[in-house]
Amino acid sequence: MDYTNQIREIAARLLSENRIDVFIGYRKTGFDENHLPAFITHPNATGDLVFTEKSGFNLTNYLKFEHTRNKRVGLVVKGCDSRALNLMLTENQVKRDHVYIVGIACEGVVNEQGEKAQNCLECVMPDPVVHDEILGALSGKRDYQANSDVKELWQKDLAERSRFFEEVFESCIRCNACRHSCPLCYCAKCCIDQETSTLYHGANTTSSAFHALMTWSLHLAGRCVDCRNCEKACPSHLPLHLLHKQNEQVIHEHFQGHLAGMVAQDRGAFYKYNLNDPDDFIL
Amino acid sequence: MEATVKDQVVSAEKPQLEAPPGWQPVIMGILCNWCSYAGSDLTGTSRTQYPPNIRIIRVPCSSRVDPWFIIKSLQTTADGVLVSGCHPGDCHYITGNYYARRRFLVTKKLLNFVGLHEDRVQFSWVSAAEGAKFAQVVAKVTGAIRKLGPLHLYKKENRSQ
Amino acid sequence: MILSSNTNSNEMNLTTYITDPAGLEQFYSAVIGAYETYGPVETFGKFEFRKITSLAGCNPDPPILSSMSVKALFFPRSAKVLRYRTTSSGTELSDTAEDPLAGKRVILGVRHCDARALEVLDRVYKWDYIDTDYLNRRANTVLISTRCDQAAAHCFCTSLDYDVEHLDALDVAIVRGTDGKIYLQARTEKGEQFLKQHPPGPADAAGTSAEQLRKQYVTFENSFRLKMNYKEINGQMQNKFESPAFEEASSTCISCNTCAFVCPTCHCFKISDERIRDEGVRYKSYDSCNNIYFTLMAGGHNPRPVKYRRWRQRAMHKFVYYKERFDLNLCVGCGKCTVSCPVNISIFEVANRVAASMQ
Repeated sequence: MDYTNQIREIAARLLSENRIDVFIGYRKTGFDENHLPAFITHPNATGDLVFTEKSGFNLTNYLKFEHTRNKRVGLVVKGCDSRALNLMLTENQVKRDHVYIVGIACEGVVNEQGEKAQNCLECVMPDPVVHDEILGALSGKRDYQANSDVKELWQKDLAERSRFFEEVFESCIRCNACRHSCPLCYCAKCCIDQETSTLYHGANTTSSAFHALMTWSLHLAGRCVDCRNCEKACPSHLPLHLLHKQNEQVIHEHFQGHLAGMVAQDRGAFYKYNLNDPDDFIL
Repeated sequence: MEATVKDQVVSAEKPQLEAPPGWQPVIMGILCNWCSYAGSDLTGTSRTQYPPNIRIIRVPCSSRVDPWFIIKSLQTTADGVLVSGCHPGDCHYITGNYYARRRFLVTKKLLNFVGLHEDRVQFSWVSAAEGAKFAQVVAKVTGAIRKLGPLHLYKKENRSQ
Repeated sequence: MILSSNTNSNEMNLTTYITDPAGLEQFYSAVIGAYETYGPVETFGKFEFRKITSLAGCNPDPPILSSMSVKALFFPRSAKVLRYRTTSSGTELSDTAEDPLAGKRVILGVRHCDARALEVLDRVYKWDYIDTDYLNRRANTVLISTRCDQAAAHCFCTSLDYDVEHLDALDVAIVRGTDGKIYLQARTEKGEQFLKQHPPGPADAAGTSAEQLRKQYVTFENSFRLKMNYKEINGQMQNKFESPAFEEASSTCISCNTCAFVCPTCHCFKISDERIRDEGVRYKSYDSCNNIYFTLMAGGHNPRPVKYRRWRQRAMHKFVYYKERFDLNLCVGCGKCTVSCPVNISIFEVANRVAASMQ
């Protein structure tokens, strides 16, 4: 999968025609690692841009207000990225006429080891769901697959699961990279960062990590598009996808097969209801 | 200065055998104003007994309940949580409890996934006329938590030992 | 005033011992048996320093690029400062329990950049406030590690202001010779005493180790991809405060706290109280100057709300300010920040770009 030349051409054109202020794409590193985000503001600097299967980062993260305040942005999105963008548009975080969207019909990206990423193997929508132009051939929606790691954990009993997650929460260093790299976490001030002593959990304990990660995943439930920005960002390599995929599966199974951001103007699962939603667990 | 570096994982949910003598469960009750809270009021005026372990917080609607409240309660002092609202179709704000029950399902499953027993967090529909039902619900939930014992998993550490 | 942190180990008359792989295993076992020992343990596919009771699951050589630096064993991620309880007659304060990190202990598998970082940090902990907890932990710890054979992609320790070959701040350095032997060199007085008590093999009376150690270092030095002229960079950066390169280089930064938390020399902290009803604990935990709220004051004023200015402060602190104050560069060139950064911003790149920029 290589759209390097096309991306360079599009970015140069948009910048020289003054249709955008900044083009956000990917650049190579000095070493043979996965690509990094790049902000290009000049048509002559577009030679730095690349796009291959190493271009994994979800760039819609930079549409959060503090990164691109009042700027017109040109952006490269893959399938999952575009679903996040759909949600950001619906939730009024981005103005549609401020973004020029170059959609890639994605064939999957690779992880740090060079293997196809797990979320790409389980991908449900490789095509961009919102775009101004498309590169590549559309392949259509795929059947939903339950995440294998989540399934494996459910085979274990309660005590084993709690030991596993205790290890996870103990390793969290509360850097908040997960929150900052997630496009859908755009709150100017996170609810758990309030400074009163009964609410604030700045200290790095297993309990504070439980509180932070659980609240985060439940606020993201029904809105997470499984781009794995969070997991790639985590310096402790925590398996954060377990929490999000677990929520996604419950939502997909019980709420009419809902998946985040598939349709324009679609809202997260918790902003809708159905009269037949299950409530047999309620006394 | 005591550093909180842990090299051993604290064991998982402990059974009732390890509850200290005289231990009483602490249940956080979050009740919607128009149905469940009124219902609990009726229980009181009818002089129906129910376990005193529940601490009630009143919210305007079950839909006000952010999963964050449940997590915070479990992390601090609660051994269990009960959230109660109006029956579907009877919400004072028409649709609030429809949204709420979606959140409840996902929250309950996620907490179970990370190792909390599913009886720790429970939900009910109790109307303003169901004073008797409220007492039964509280008794049932309290009994279940009593069997499970005090919650140690993921608790905040700032209680002096 | 130039304060030398450690004299050349050659001048201090320190001993080198010679052994073989089996002897090294025995040495490790003896150490683990005799002292509280920490080493790099794999968790979720990366390495963290944890207490070990055997070498199973721990890999101390060659030293692996652990995600978290060893600083967490001296300056913990979270530490309780005091407990308080409010009663009708006032507030009672009480001290917290014994510091579990204060006992005599050995840490294996510490990269020399991490060890050097501790030496750099010592300066600030002995400065305007003598941090006895940190200094006690330092005094009670022996650092034993294999010297790196090869630089990782983002390493640039040899480019900075210290003699990596001799001033790495390890107490005992282990080198695998090309002759199949293993050399354990005491590099500090503490290391010398330690090896006297636990000799891993015969001392190198004939002096054959010097050649092997030099050979190993030369191979190591040649493996670096990143090199900079430190004097030049430091000199240039002092005049480039207004450089637009800061903004360009930090444009993709997402202001999370990762770089400061994994950095072996970052030492900023925040104090937070956590309370349940009438009792609580005051915690001291890591903070990062890249955080939007780092400079937020009571009353709401925030002097550094703009991202590139926070980045500028960080880069200048690492390469200019600390050097001005303590004559030691704060950055030790370990590359952890770059590896852990969600968008791989390289402080090496930033320093170079700023130094090379026009104004």
